[in-house]
Amino acid sequence: MKIMQFKKIITLIIFFSSLNTLAFASFESEENFVSDFAASAISILSDEGLNNNDKNIQFTDLVMSSIDMNLISKFVLSRYWKTASDQQKISYLNAFEEYFISSYANKLDQYSGEKIVIVSSEAAKKFVIVKSNIVRDGADTLKIELNWRLLTRDGQTKIIDLSIEGISLIVAQREEFQSFLSNNNESLDALINRLKIINAKD
Amino acid sequence: MKSKLVLFFVIITFVVSGCASVTKDQIVAENIATQKVSDPIEPINRVVFSFNNVFDKYAVRPVSILYRGILPEFVRNRIAYSLNNLSMPITTINNILQFEFGKAGISTARFVINSTIGILGFFDPASYFGLEADYEDFGQTLGVWGIPTGPYLILPFLGPSSPRDFTGLLSTSLLDPTYQVGNSANRDLFRSYRMGVGVINFRSENIEIFDDLQNNSVDYYAAVRSFYNQSRNSQVSDNLEVSPSINQDSLFNDFEEFELDDTYIGPDVSISYPE
Repeated sequence: MKIMQFKKIITLIIFFSSLNTLAFASFESEENFVSDFAASAISILSDEGLNNNDKNIQFTDLVMSSIDMNLISKFVLSRYWKTASDQQKISYLNAFEEYFISSYANKLDQYSGEKIVIVSSEAAKKFVIVKSNIVRDGADTLKIELNWRLLTRDGQTKIIDLSIEGISLIVAQREEFQSFLSNNNESLDALINRLKIINAKD
Repeated sequence: MKSKLVLFFVIITFVVSGCASVTKDQIVAENIATQKVSDPIEPINRVVFSFNNVFDKYAVRPVSILYRGILPEFVRNRIAYSLNNLSMPITTINNILQFEFGKAGISTARFVINSTIGILGFFDPASYFGLEADYEDFGQTLGVWGIPTGPYLILPFLGPSSPRDFTGLLSTSLLDPTYQVGNSANRDLFRSYRMGVGVINFRSENIEIFDDLQNNSVDYYAAVRSFYNQSRNSQVSDNLEVSPSINQDSLFNDFEEFELDDTYIGPDVSISYPE
């Protein structure tokens, strides 16, 4: 009887301690992935030996090896991807990637010492969300919430989305594309042309 | 007269939403549902949006550039901090309306500390005492009470809003204790100062971001709409202590399909760098 009770207690303890670890499980490798990425990005951005063009090349290499560009491209196009012809897919992927790169290309010199501080991480369906803050040095107490949505496939962790103060960038991009398409007779060619026009401006 | 107007809007929102008791899950579900863009008067909104852009181009943006050009960063930061501090009393009121009494204590303490030690709110010593800033407005309170946002609305001069947020905005501007300082002439002056400087200060911090968004968006209107809706939803779900990732998860439901679609991997994209 006593042994039974003892066993029960042990089982309970094990049960609750495992619950506990579940509740507080942090995703160490994902957190490290983000802090490594941030460290590499900051070292490129703050390297005074690099001119803007070099910065751009190195930063783009870093970004392209850390994000899942293929998934992002398809996701923002949503249902229009499924009906696109192969030729449209090629044109779109090319135009979108160039558009994506040009969205930060001329802004890399605006970096002024901000740092990323990892706060916590949690599972969200198949994704892992790493929460962080962008903070500035010195007496400045203003901080910005930045959440990273990561997906690990075939042992490779990639960034899927950034959410800044609750605003998801790929969701915003998708809504923009969907709106453009529904206002332009659902023509994917029109979207591709629009992207090309914007890309040519830079 | 004005307070009757507010009461009217509050009643209307209650009636429209058919507000009974609503659970947290329902509110979250509602939030997720509203993330599917609801914009029935898009054509009218787009016209007002264009008008606001013209107003911005010829009035707000030039003044913001001037503001940023004339005032050093130190001064601009002091103004930003003092504006933040002035929004603490209305935050306290909303904390209480949201039954967040702990947070009400924090926002009160922040206001007291920053208005005194922080020299009229120009500095933020409260953050060093671990009292982190959190801003609440009446629109968020209505959201916490389970009142739906309603359709997207662009207000002339004021920009993106919704029936819920517009009601909140009216209530805030009438209920805010920091608007009740001094006699009526001073009050109006103070109110205009706060609103005017608030707008210019915000705009001056975002000149490049808006320029860039405007020049490089595929659909500028839709981009702003998405930013606004996402931001308001996330503020309300923050108040309900719902994790932002859970709030956004449903948006990623069709992700799987694309993930599985490995039939087409994409071309080797050659990247051309701008000179």
